[in-house]
Amino acid sequence: MFVKHVINDISSYCHGELSAEDARLFNEHLMVCAKCRSEFEQIKLGVKLAEQLPRIQAPEKLWPELEKKLENALSRASWTTPLYFNRWQTRTAAAAVLLVISALGLWLVLNGQRLSNQRSFWQVETINGTPRIDSTGVRTKGQLAVGQWLETDGASRAQINVASIGQVQIDANTRVRLVETQPTEHRLELARGKMSARIWAPPRLFFVDTPSAVAADMGCAYTLEVDDSGASLLRVTSGWVALELKDRESMVPTGAACQTRPGVGPGTPYFEDASPEFQRALTTIDFGGNPSDQVAIDTLLKTSRARDTLTLWHLLGRVNLEERDKLYDKIASFVPPPGGVTRDGILKLDQTMLDKWRDDLEPAWWSTDNVVPKKVAEVYWQMKNGINRRVAKLK
Amino acid sequence: MERRSAMAEQIISGRVINACQQGDRDAFRVLFETYKDKVYSIAVYSSGGDATLADDVTQQIFLKLFTAIKQFRGDSEFTTWLYRLVVNACMDERRRRRRLLPFGEVFAMKHPSEKNPQEKQYGKTEVAEAVRGAIAQLKPKFRLPILLKYIEGLSYEEIAQVMGCSKGTVASRLNRGHGQLAKRLSHLRTLVE
Repeated sequence: MFVKHVINDISSYCHGELSAEDARLFNEHLMVCAKCRSEFEQIKLGVKLAEQLPRIQAPEKLWPELEKKLENALSRASWTTPLYFNRWQTRTAAAAVLLVISALGLWLVLNGQRLSNQRSFWQVETINGTPRIDSTGVRTKGQLAVGQWLETDGASRAQINVASIGQVQIDANTRVRLVETQPTEHRLELARGKMSARIWAPPRLFFVDTPSAVAADMGCAYTLEVDDSGASLLRVTSGWVALELKDRESMVPTGAACQTRPGVGPGTPYFEDASPEFQRALTTIDFGGNPSDQVAIDTLLKTSRARDTLTLWHLLGRVNLEERDKLYDKIASFVPPPGGVTRDGILKLDQTMLDKWRDDLEPAWWSTDNVVPKKVAEVYWQMKNGINRRVAKLK
Repeated sequence: MERRSAMAEQIISGRVINACQQGDRDAFRVLFETYKDKVYSIAVYSSGGDATLADDVTQQIFLKLFTAIKQFRGDSEFTTWLYRLVVNACMDERRRRRRLLPFGEVFAMKHPSEKNPQEKQYGKTEVAEAVRGAIAQLKPKFRLPILLKYIEGLSYEEIAQVMGCSKGTVASRLNRGHGQLAKRLSHLRTLVE
């Protein structure tokens, strides 16, 4: 069934009509097939649009008009009172049912969103101790419904099965909430503590909200920690993760980390094997209040290696023109800009030139013992560039 | 949506249907109150937003339901039988009006795009309005499965029974319907994602 393309199954997948096994095969195919992935994005948009259709209330005048027509249509047949269902009983039942319908209608209006979300839940398994879902302890297994909190104390840990697309381990002293789970989007909120995720799904299906950024994954493994101040630290062990907040975005590859702060959003990604001086200077740039801090940038440039161009490339769009010029020279000393990429274009932050140079920088970002498959990286950038193009078009 | 549908079905017991089959007026009223919004919504979307036409189609459907309910023998689910009536009524109406006005083009006519859609500012209501317009322009064979899925919350199996086709055909038509919606409304991507 899935040896060829899966385009015909996209709506079925989005509506949860595929079996768990078929859904898994679907995900796997999507990871390696650009054609189906592109079609998936398109049909997923169609699904999201169709979900905007509201039910429309019938006008009150319909029944009186219908009753008249019905009188005419049935004029030869008198309204009957069945033997087993007399008129008094019918009227009482009718009044009761109408009351229930009205109450139900009102309740649905007030709780519609919560109700539709509550249909979905994730399976939770206890690893240690007794984690709690809302106020109920989970001894071995439980279900986390949309809107519910899963909380671990100092002695407990849990594992969550994220629909059919992955697993998340919840460490001790952690608090997470299931925000949404639909075939087109799965979203968790990490209020505090630490979680480790392994996701095998098409890009941008699984999101984690933190107090200072949103982590969007593309089929990867990573850990995410949030402290009591709302600051977080992302460490990617496989694949790519994007950290986003409003217009600010950091793409973090395997072996790299990225910090976030409330009120600032994601900092700049860096490789964890960068020197301590490099990392300290980067913290000053990201969260010291002046991204163009000359001393910090000079330290960064002095201590950077070829693979630290990941950090330098991200900083191009975050510093002033003078510091950008210095960054350009440093990056070019490791990997010269390819044809068609000019100093002037980079200084003006031409997105096409930035993307082209980044493609040439990427090989320097992978260490020999931790190589991300080229296919995975390609998928990420295709998604990323597609989104950039759409946003640019809208602007 | 699915839960709403299931709940309404629980309310309509076999007893109410039996009473309708005996011609009991109050039982008819119960049936009407239970399904009126669902039937009316499909009629509105199928008539392209023409309220007068939707009133007319809804009344025709319920008249047909009340006069033909004696023929309901419980071989299929009551809702399947009802939605089959709805689908047939919408198709019949389309055929009847074809020569006068293409059925399902009023949304588009009511909301002409004065400017380039990408220049327009969209809120939630405007998005819903744009989707209604785009739904109205779909061919009935793509539009009806979408309405049965999103308005009635039916499963593919149930839609297949209502439309008298296979589950695979339902999946394929929904796919094409979604694709056409996305193509027509691609400028709304950032607002719904």
